[in-house]
Amino acid sequence: MTVLQGAAAVTPKPRRSVGRGLWRALRGNRKAMAGSVILLIFLVISAFPGLFTSVSDPNALAFPPRLGPSSGHLLGTTGLGQDVYSQLIYGTRQSLIIAVVAGFFATVLSVLIGVSAAYLGGVMDDLLSMLTNVALVIPAFPLIVILAKYAGHGSLTVLLVVLVVTGWAYGANQMRAQALSLRNRDFLESARVRGERRAYIIVFEVLPTMTSLIVANFLGAALYSVLSAAGLQFLGLGDPNSSSWGTMLYWAQNQQALQTGAPLWSIAPGLCVALLGVAFALMNYAFDEIGNPALRPVKAKERKVRAAVAAKAAAAGPPEAVVSQDIALQDAADTDAPLLQVRGLTVEYATARGSSVAVAGVDLDVRRGEFLGVVGESGCGKSTLLFAIARLLSAPASTTSGSVTFKGSNLVAMTEKQLNVLRWRDYSVVMQSAMNALNPVRTIGAQFKDAIEAHADYGSEKIRERSVEVLQLVGIDPVHLKSYPHQLSGGMRQRAMIAMALLFTPDLVIMDEPTSALDVVAQRSLMVQIKELQQLLGFAVIFVTHDMSLVSRFSDRLVVMYAGQVVETGPTRTVFDTPSHPYSKGLLDAFPSIHGERVELKGIPGSPPDLGNPPSGCRFNPRCPVVQERCRSQEPELYQIGELGQVKARCLLLTPDNEPQESRSLEVNS
Amino acid sequence: MKHVLRRGGFFLLTLWAALTLNFFIPRFMPGDPVNALRDRTRGKVSEATLQQMLSSFGFKPNQNLGQQYLDYLGNMLSGHWGISIGQALGEPVTSIIGQALPWTLGLVGITTVLAFGLGTLIGVVAGWKRGGRLDAILPPLFVVTSALPYFWVALLLILMFSVWTGGLLPSDFNYDTSLVPGLSPGFIGSVLQHAVLPAATLLITSIGGWILTMRNNMITTLAEDYVRMGRAKGLPARKVMYGYAARNAFLPNLSGFAMSLGFVISGAILIEYVFNYPGLGYLLYSAVQNVDYPLMQTLFMLFTVAVLVAVLICDLATAWLDPRVRAKE
Repeated sequence: MTVLQGAAAVTPKPRRSVGRGLWRALRGNRKAMAGSVILLIFLVISAFPGLFTSVSDPNALAFPPRLGPSSGHLLGTTGLGQDVYSQLIYGTRQSLIIAVVAGFFATVLSVLIGVSAAYLGGVMDDLLSMLTNVALVIPAFPLIVILAKYAGHGSLTVLLVVLVVTGWAYGANQMRAQALSLRNRDFLESARVRGERRAYIIVFEVLPTMTSLIVANFLGAALYSVLSAAGLQFLGLGDPNSSSWGTMLYWAQNQQALQTGAPLWSIAPGLCVALLGVAFALMNYAFDEIGNPALRPVKAKERKVRAAVAAKAAAAGPPEAVVSQDIALQDAADTDAPLLQVRGLTVEYATARGSSVAVAGVDLDVRRGEFLGVVGESGCGKSTLLFAIARLLSAPASTTSGSVTFKGSNLVAMTEKQLNVLRWRDYSVVMQSAMNALNPVRTIGAQFKDAIEAHADYGSEKIRERSVEVLQLVGIDPVHLKSYPHQLSGGMRQRAMIAMALLFTPDLVIMDEPTSALDVVAQRSLMVQIKELQQLLGFAVIFVTHDMSLVSRFSDRLVVMYAGQVVETGPTRTVFDTPSHPYSKGLLDAFPSIHGERVELKGIPGSPPDLGNPPSGCRFNPRCPVVQERCRSQEPELYQIGELGQVKARCLLLTPDNEPQESRSLEVNS
Repeated sequence: MKHVLRRGGFFLLTLWAALTLNFFIPRFMPGDPVNALRDRTRGKVSEATLQQMLSSFGFKPNQNLGQQYLDYLGNMLSGHWGISIGQALGEPVTSIIGQALPWTLGLVGITTVLAFGLGTLIGVVAGWKRGGRLDAILPPLFVVTSALPYFWVALLLILMFSVWTGGLLPSDFNYDTSLVPGLSPGFIGSVLQHAVLPAATLLITSIGGWILTMRNNMITTLAEDYVRMGRAKGLPARKVMYGYAARNAFLPNLSGFAMSLGFVISGAILIEYVFNYPGLGYLLYSAVQNVDYPLMQTLFMLFTVAVLVAVLICDLATAWLDPRVRAKE
């Protein structure tokens, strides 16, 4: 990619797309819709109050006081003889004006101060942040009460100024945080390189990307203003002659509406304040959900797919498959059967668009003490496969068919309770990044202790002994039992996690790219150490990685995955020296060989397919360099190849009846 | 250490800012406080007493503003808060506040901590059972309750549990005035009875926020690798939920708690007003109504101090619970 292309690629046109995306997201959010409908109704009422009531002066004392609701007075009359309903209608305007105007100016102030703090940096940032924090801590409402009193029975303007002055700080803090996080993003960098002025960058590049936060902020400030203003007016600190819900509440309270049989006088305007507040709160929360999709409620459609997937999953593992709570594990001496036997394992993700198959009928075996490498690009289902084997999937993913037979028992059919007996004692897991996989607020020792206590009744002395032992195994000073994860270096954390996995010397350790967070030198030394430990303790390893050269020296057998399927499997050496599947070949070409001669590195063009909608025929066909017509329609199976049948590959060109010349031409062509 | 100094500086600065606002607002707002005072006290006190009151309030028109300001700061910080010039004319501000403080601490303090604890717990369970029935109902429900005006909820409760039910629960004052205050069961019962409705109001309006933020934190935390690791280790579900997920999800809520105290105070003012509950909030209302400057000033300072103390406590709690924060100090 040339420099010019790069600049073009990282300079988005955020203005329209952001607005449109936001709109679409809002339309799909039920809370946002409910909020907007309420707001819209109030807007119409405030614009045309005359349409909703025939009373032209709602404050005139035109009727008998304290009438109950009737057709003439929908909500009765006040203690002073006004129509409650028409007062409500005419009061709408002021409440809306307060919400919108105070919300707007408070937001402007938030953006101004927050973004300036982030962009000016240095002393200005310190000062503005300090100002914001001080303003945040000083209790606003008592201040408003005092200010409103000093300012005399407040006109609307005074009220608005007071609300803005006390309402900007919370937003300013958020604006600053987001602006700071945006500061070094590519598209801003490119704008700076283009030589745009700072003001231009802020207005045209930064603010559009902050739209969602700014709108959410406006809604929050509006909510705050509505409630505060109503509270103030209720206390009698507003203009007692104005037409507003808060003023109605003041008079109602003043005249003891509740106690004198006119509850609607007081309850109805309160309900209006509440409704307007709820409208802003719902929309505000909807923006939170749009910004963080994980918070969204599970949609009905997705719920249906989940239920369907769950039903399949239940069928895959009928509870009666496990006869009793005690799992009869195979004897360790029985070495004929593989330690782990995975058959037809299928994992589906439930999404709103339907279910998507991330792992499709995978078979694999792991023998005792064996080192099995699982390789493939990101997004091909390797990690999902691992977690399915370990039974660690969580919604929306679940295992929908197949079996995982570990030491003679089917894990897929086990309940969480039964699994907890096996976990860590018989098989353990090492994850990609120990920084994330270790609990940040507990010491290494405490986390070891948790694991031990869950499975054994050791005394505290023996727990300590064992913890020291495993740490020493991986070459970490036992003083670090008292350390927290953040106090260790990346390599040490990773070793500590491996040590934790060995607490009970399990038969199987499942490793998900345990070295990918480390630099190359640390990677190598960790690999060597894992291999040594394996030879010392005799556990089997399933090792997932995208780096084929990493496993070449360490694994006994390889499984190559593509688009949720196994495309090739066999002894590591054989697969390395003579890759059968075009994808394996491509993967090998994408990494430099340490020992081999220097060859030009080639990637595989394109990217793995969308698993919700995989290509028909061979899943690799759109990217395959030697694709044939039949590959697009005919789905290949795993074919045995080679004299010993040790290697299996999923490629139509390797079918037993295929002509040998063709298979040879594959190697030449690619 | 640097962190501690920074925080200390921040507290002093905030306190100073609040006190300064307090000093300058009456002096720069339209309307002359002295005349207002003179009007209020006309006929009740002699000119000499008025002068004395004014000077105790720190208002010495002949002195320069800087000197007045310094005197005022000294008085505020040393507890020389002057005497009331409002309803309780002539009574020292300290004793007025001393009478009201326990009621607010008891009612608002306990209810706030209760709402925080209960809300956090419900949020943990709702987030843990993500996608369940509870999780489908709770968020929209509590978005609504957290946006309700305090005073309106109070009025509704009074209507339902006091007016319509013929005074089932009292809606006025902090205890039955026919009783003699003391440690008698009757008096304590009366106090509790009078606290039910105001406490319920505060609980209903403030618990939603805690439930929502805790649920959302929980959901974010549940996606973390260390939670999956807890499961992988075969730990009991309860241990994963509390020791691994909730323990981490709770941390951001703590700093939120301190910041929310400002809202709690606004709630206290409105709720105590509606229920005529003689705590600090009600006192502020009546001080404002009666233009009682010394009382107003002191109350505002105390509210600020309350928030600052809460921030400090939450700072300490966060440092205690989060080793990464400790490392920074």
